[in-house]
Amino acid sequence: MTSPATLRIEADVDRLKDVRQFVREIAPTLGADEVAVRDLVQAVDEWVTNVVVHGYRGAGGPIEIELLRAGDEIVARVRDAAPAFDPATAPAFDPDLPLDQRPAGRMGIHLIRELCDRFEHRVPAGGGNETAIVRSTTRIPSRTGGNG
Amino acid sequence: MNTTIDRVSPEAAVLALDGELDASNFRELIATGTGLYADGVRRLVLELSDLAYMSSSGIVALHSLALIFRGQQPPDPEAGWAAIHAVSADTAEGTRADQVRLVAPTAAVESVLERTGLGRILPVFGDRDAALAG
Repeated sequence: MTSPATLRIEADVDRLKDVRQFVREIAPTLGADEVAVRDLVQAVDEWVTNVVVHGYRGAGGPIEIELLRAGDEIVARVRDAAPAFDPATAPAFDPDLPLDQRPAGRMGIHLIRELCDRFEHRVPAGGGNETAIVRSTTRIPSRTGGNG
Repeated sequence: MNTTIDRVSPEAAVLALDGELDASNFRELIATGTGLYADGVRRLVLELSDLAYMSSSGIVALHSLALIFRGQQPPDPEAGWAAIHAVSADTAEGTRADQVRLVAPTAAVESVLERTGLGRILPVFGDRDAALAG
């Protein structure tokens, strides 16, 4: 396991470009191939967006993003101090719904599930959230959601 | 993200998107499209060949524009992120939306369109002339 690279930001949608740049720069140095980098950039962006918009509800707060390699996987760990929210409790999104019947959101967590191998959440002792987005450095994630 | 508007006729416009479309700027795209619709545009072609990245916020923008250009109320991006919109099921019309057309998405953007199903709702063309003519 490598020591992690860390980016700390204030929760703000205007910092999302910095989050993506951080993942684009660091993930290749950890051995992620081009598709893995692309998937990780999107998955981390989607989750940090979720924290900024839903977790902190636009009010701001600290977010810490760590990237490290563990075995043949990249782990992106995101910590925040927002109210606890387990993404596993989010309702499923059906990409086959017609335009009129689609919810206006919900797609971010759906995309993360599609793009990574594991998406884990825990509430640290001090509160907030710690999620881990885990993806193979090279292998395409197996689709387990049944709708991908 | 930079947006270039080419008003090719009173009824049609091409919006070329350059850069990255995410939660910081998707409302600007909705506002631009809404303004064009209010000004009489009924066919909106989105040129995506220089759009390097699109998050699910961009999908919300495309979804909203597709509804606006069909003359329907768009989902509210504020309340709508978490809300489930109860909508009437007009499945015959509900599955088609060809007033908003996409041109030449990059591989990264195409992947998002595919995974969210929007690429099966909005028609995708290889170049802008085909999108304007089709």
